Amino acid sequence: MADEIRRLSDDLARDPSSLSFMQLADALRRAGQLEVALRVALRGLDRHPYLADAHDVLARIHADRGDLERAADEWEVALRLNPGHGPARLGLGFIDFRRGNLERAEQRLAAASSVDEDGSVAAALAHVRSALDARTAPNGPDGVAAPAVLAPEPSGQQGQTPLKNSTGSDPVGGGRAATPMMTPTIVEYPAPDPSKARQVFASVLDGDDQTALLVDADGLVLAGGYTDSNGQDVADVVAAELAGVGGEAERAMRHLGLGAWTSMLVEADRSVVAMSPAPLGSLLVVAAARETPVGLVRLLLDRALTRARDWLARVA
Amino acid sequence: MANGNGQARTPYAEVLAVLSRHRGVLGSFVVSERDGLAVDSNVQIGVHAEAVAALAASLHRKARLACGAAGCGTVTFLRLDAERGGICAAARDDLVLITISEARANIGLLRVEMMRAVKALT
Repeated sequence: MADEIRRLSDDLARDPSSLSFMQLADALRRAGQLEVALRVALRGLDRHPYLADAHDVLARIHADRGDLERAADEWEVALRLNPGHGPARLGLGFIDFRRGNLERAEQRLAAASSVDEDGSVAAALAHVRSALDARTAPNGPDGVAAPAVLAPEPSGQQGQTPLKNSTGSDPVGGGRAATPMMTPTIVEYPAPDPSKARQVFASVLDGDDQTALLVDADGLVLAGGYTDSNGQDVADVVAAELAGVGGEAERAMRHLGLGAWTSMLVEADRSVVAMSPAPLGSLLVVAAARETPVGLVRLLLDRALTRARDWLARVA
Repeated sequence: MANGNGQARTPYAEVLAVLSRHRGVLGSFVVSERDGLAVDSNVQIGVHAEAVAALAASLHRKARLACGAAGCGTVTFLRLDAERGGICAAARDDLVLITISEARANIGLLRVEMMRAVKALT
């Protein structure tokens, strides 16, 4: 790997306009030198801004750095430059999957199947579809979706042994026009630092009378907290009572043909509670004092949902 | 006396008929929260009344238990929104009054009507 990087660096030094910057950036990325890889890719794109493959490499670097927003932007640019760019579709499908948007991931991957040279798109599509089936299939009397989902972990490259970087993920296959391959991995719900997980929603809450809680499909707390009027932490109990709510709401709406459920609002004597489906089959719950206007609670729910998506994309 | 389905008329028939006349309302039910069985219903053809009634009652029960655990007090109104409509529920004791509506329904008006009607549930 070090030899390859040295050789590519020499090539680029001899001819700064060379396209070898893509291979060099990718080799650096696979070696875990993400900041250097980022600089090389950006410098190369300054000279060659219309190369879809270069944007693809940059997207993978962003993905490895955990910046899925920028990765998605770069893959979108790659697709605009080359609408048939399979790796970009696969990458966007990967991001949709990571965000829990399985339907969109399936659409993207199905669209990429026509350029599936090594079967990786077909494999990824199969995993997304199995995850979709797992989400909709009943599991027990409440019909709750399975708690674990098959998550794609792009890795591998055409004609070479798949490599993984220090983060364990490898959205870039390596090589100039490598196709990422989604490898099935059982991903449990994130288990981040508990103290930080409890503070995830602190920045979106306006006062002490507001609270936000992220609950997984099994009724376990993922993030946030819930303190009752006595100051007692009741997050675990509330989460447990809400287990299966998302599944039941989904089934009710399916019976009625009214589309996917988007939110649930509960007015009680002392609080207004709003809920929304969140990525990975989780449920987001926000609560505010009864005096809070209902419309404001819905805005709070939207803000908290954006925060939850960002957080899950980073830790899942 | 029997309703259009040939079932015996209950004390809730008039309440349900009034709710079902609201714009965009596809149907209304009175359901037992404990077992999810519909006590009475007034729904349009095509609505899966029994399944929806059971699921809505279960949702209301979960919301009630969660609110109890969180110290929020008694649940007075529940609204489940979907892309093209939703469900509203209000309860008194074990009975839950439920309406199913399309997106064009006036939820504010329906809420007021349901809050008034639920007081008549016994």
